[in-house]
Amino acid sequence: MHMHKFEKIWLIFGIGALVVFLSVVGVSAFYLGNKPPSCLTTIDPEKVDTQAPFNKPGLNKVEGKEWDYELVYVASAFFYNPAEVEVPLGAKVKVMATTKDVIHGFQVAGTNINMMLEPGYVNEIVTTFDKEGEYLVVCNEYCGTGHHLMSSKIKVVKK
Amino acid sequence: MAKTELKTNKKTEIEDSSSLKGTMASVMFLGIFLVVTWVSVYFLFLDRF
Repeated sequence: MHMHKFEKIWLIFGIGALVVFLSVVGVSAFYLGNKPPSCLTTIDPEKVDTQAPFNKPGLNKVEGKEWDYELVYVASAFFYNPAEVEVPLGAKVKVMATTKDVIHGFQVAGTNINMMLEPGYVNEIVTTFDKEGEYLVVCNEYCGTGHHLMSSKIKVVKK
Repeated sequence: MAKTELKTNKKTEIEDSSSLKGTMASVMFLGIFLVVTWVSVYFLFLDRF
């Protein structure tokens, strides 16, 4: 089959780009173990307040785990618990969040932490807070009349 | 008597449309745009915590 030289070039370019993009996603998922923040952990949404770790919202130090702290968030219409939290700079933190009522969003503006909180499911993300500053946590799933008032603050401070 | 057109020796001139330069340029323009935007978003992702 005769093929123009240019056609060969752009076919190689296109297929090459596809292979590179998919490999990056594949390595991230299967080698580095990245997964969606909501991954198979469930909870009874009516008993959130009585179940660990959600009976103690806020930043909790943990020992013997891959991360140093657990940052526990409970969302409900129309606020987050805790409303403000301080995280030491450079801390490896597992952020754990769930909702007691409807679907809420959990986005820490300016970072990669962005998840959808669904009633009955626990969302988790492990990250290292390596940049100082104040970060706004906002709800980015419309949850009702007070949706726009729903926010929290994470302060990353040197300690 | 009318002549049939079939036996004329005249050759129809075909315009040469085999040049793919313009196509190549537009394909590469789009391709480079896609790569640049993908890579910049990927590095933005890596840079944030």
